Amino acid sequence: MSAISQHTNSAPQPGGSAQPVVRLEGISKFFGQVRANYDIHLSIGAGRIKALLGENGAGKSTLMSILAGRLQPDFGRIVVDGEHRVFRSPKDAHLAGIGMVYQHFMLIDSMSVADNVLLGHEGSFRISPAKMRERVAKLSAEYGLEVDPAARVGSLSMGERQRVEILKLLCRQSRVLIFDEPTAVLTPTEAEQLFKAMRRMAEQGKSIVFISHKLPEVLEISDEISILRRGEVVDNFVRAQVPDEAELARRMLGRDLRKGDDIALSAEILPGSSASDAGTAQGLKEIMGELPLPKIKGRGKFLAQSEPVLSLSGVRCSAQDSVGVHDVSFAIAKGQILALLGVAGNGQKELVEAICGLRGLDSGSISILDHPVDEYWKMQPPHGGLGYIPEDRRGVASCPDLDLVDNFLLTTRKLFSRYGLLDRKRAMRATKALIREHNVLPGNPKAKGSELSGGNLQKLIVGRELLRNPRCIIAENPTQGLDVAAMEEVWQRLRIAKESSGILLVTGDVSEALALADYLAVIYRGKIVDLFSVEDRAKVERIGLMMAGSASLAG
Amino acid sequence: MDGFLPYLLIIIPALAAAVSTGTSILYATLGELVMERAGVLNLGVEGMMMVGCLASFLGCYHTGSPWFGLLCGGVAAMGMSAIHGAVCLFFQGSQVVSGLALTLFGVGVANYLGTPYIQQKVVGFASFNVPVLSSIPVLGPIFFQHDAMVYLSFFIPPLLWFLFMRTRYGLALRSTGENPEAVRAAGISPSAVRWSALMLGGFLVGMGGAYLALASMRMWVDNLVSGRGWIAVALVIFAFWRPGRAVFGVYLFTGVTAYLFRVQALGVGIPSSFLNMLPYLMTLAVLFASSLKGRGSGAPADLGNNLKPGS
Repeated sequence: MSAISQHTNSAPQPGGSAQPVVRLEGISKFFGQVRANYDIHLSIGAGRIKALLGENGAGKSTLMSILAGRLQPDFGRIVVDGEHRVFRSPKDAHLAGIGMVYQHFMLIDSMSVADNVLLGHEGSFRISPAKMRERVAKLSAEYGLEVDPAARVGSLSMGERQRVEILKLLCRQSRVLIFDEPTAVLTPTEAEQLFKAMRRMAEQGKSIVFISHKLPEVLEISDEISILRRGEVVDNFVRAQVPDEAELARRMLGRDLRKGDDIALSAEILPGSSASDAGTAQGLKEIMGELPLPKIKGRGKFLAQSEPVLSLSGVRCSAQDSVGVHDVSFAIAKGQILALLGVAGNGQKELVEAICGLRGLDSGSISILDHPVDEYWKMQPPHGGLGYIPEDRRGVASCPDLDLVDNFLLTTRKLFSRYGLLDRKRAMRATKALIREHNVLPGNPKAKGSELSGGNLQKLIVGRELLRNPRCIIAENPTQGLDVAAMEEVWQRLRIAKESSGILLVTGDVSEALALADYLAVIYRGKIVDLFSVEDRAKVERIGLMMAGSASLAG
Repeated sequence: MDGFLPYLLIIIPALAAAVSTGTSILYATLGELVMERAGVLNLGVEGMMMVGCLASFLGCYHTGSPWFGLLCGGVAAMGMSAIHGAVCLFFQGSQVVSGLALTLFGVGVANYLGTPYIQQKVVGFASFNVPVLSSIPVLGPIFFQHDAMVYLSFFIPPLLWFLFMRTRYGLALRSTGENPEAVRAAGISPSAVRWSALMLGGFLVGMGGAYLALASMRMWVDNLVSGRGWIAVALVIFAFWRPGRAVFGVYLFTGVTAYLFRVQALGVGIPSSFLNMLPYLMTLAVLFASSLKGRGSGAPADLGNNLKPGS
């Protein structure tokens, strides 16, 4: 810890000694009508570690993609060493000394670390593996990025692979290194090692920008902090100005902390529900007809109004590579939204997998619509059951190479089968209606899943899941990566769905939880820190602390 | 002892025959290996060999120079490779379909255009003994009493190994077969790398075809390649995409075949269908043994996938 305090002491350098290495001037970027970045001014100084803090969808990644040359700004300019530069590709940014470590590594698993690092920068036509290993070993020693240059990348841990990515940038003489949520894939020990390496790089004059929404690590590592909210830089300060996480959380969340402030939605954003559409084509409701209540075998009893649709008691599961779930209990009744709030990687994924029958329990029990979890998944009623909106839209929720009708049928096929045969015509009509009513673009049901943007794919998935009239819904980061319009549309759908079901909203986004939920359960390291109503103002104020695991302060 | 000796004695001529009949397959296998290491699956080897074969025959027939014929064969197969490149690298077509079409096209067009030349002879490459080396016992007759194209083929595998493992171009080529996105991120064009591999590999495949017309037969007959292209495609897998193992695989295949041919001539009562089966049984055994080692098959990770455009 002494190294950290030393470092923070030296943080406020007088007047930023020299001119900044990179300056962003008035950067704006629009995606259609969505404002991803607006009039952003930012300077990045040599030897400084700058944290870019903000919620999901605040525009951090867009901004950094612009700096790394992957996207071009609509307005504004990038100034490197006092000179105006235009980046048309990542290559241009590399030439200017700017490189990015992406969350998804671009490495060749079957080759050695040295091969990966030096690819494209071998120096001479003839290469010598021994000399390459030597070069990489020297570079890794210089920056304290320990990794065996002869090892095959496929055999490395995520932390080591990240070091290989960093070495690639250092080998190219990059002066500005951008890290996109670098700790998301790391174990705590590996994260510590990364921070050490970052400090080392900063000491050697490199500029570091790192994107994060984890408060403790921002406080631990950064010299300067910039906060982005809705595409704008709303705050800019040096580390020394924030005494603790509570203050940082307040600055990050800002006025969004109160519920319902910012969202005044009318029916307008839900095109399907407006009257004008009704006459033009056959609606989804007409196609589907009335879905009778499912005949659930077994106890055959329907839930009374107040009974929970989903209840967990003392759920424990262990996982090899993550924190697992420890003694989680809660219950959700019809008409309620419970937000499971936490920083990614604190056991949410394992918990959802346990509920969805994808992961066994060590102890405890889960009951879905009054049936034990394994019994429920054996019978899986075609409708009126559990709807699942997974976080991984392209991997879990849809098949990229299938068209929208097939993707629609993935979970609704039982509603379109008659004597074991699929009624594809009706499915096609239903897909068309769903596309129209949920405003999915492009509106061609023959388009492949991969041709849709994340937001439009999500609209299709949400529509598909809600079609089955679920009485229990698991929504896992349902608006992550969506633009504001799509986000509000999904929110509105969930609010309407709440009238007939109980919803578990798994999210890392505090403002989303506050906007939707009736109850909040904060999860940290696989444990529920606290469960409280959104009306409990005192506790709502301390959410940031609870998410960071400061249970004592939260108490 | 007396009954055993003939079987030993025929090993040397069998191996010598294996080297000469294997050379054509060796060139084709190495050519396909170069293309596949860069990530391009080319099932058109059979057709490319046919076209290379005819072009080399015509080149030699009209000029009388086998070396010029060889050049014609290589360049013609490169042209076939370029068709594959246009379909797969430029128009993003399916590599499997394009390759199969190339085979059907190549075999058909070569047989058609070659019809007037059936039974016509060419000068071709004559056998000559390499001084000194050819008089080494055992090794001499096996390796050093052949023609120039056989001797040339001895140099190709080590050269390819050097290219793959010891040059900047080789690193880029292997990387392109594994992860073209990483190559693009390193500032190299994966498309250019794949084009170059198609050209180099195409030339080698064409040389394989040329060997049949200029050294093996030294005349034109119908359907001269007769399935060797397909054996080459299979041998690349057998070789785990490594040049050294390709040499071993080729000589193993042709060696066993040549040996059994001679064993049968000695009048042994093994069913001939079992003997025919043996090379493939051996392939299975070797593949099985190698997979037990647990290092994976060595197939390039991006083999057969088209490049994602742009980004």
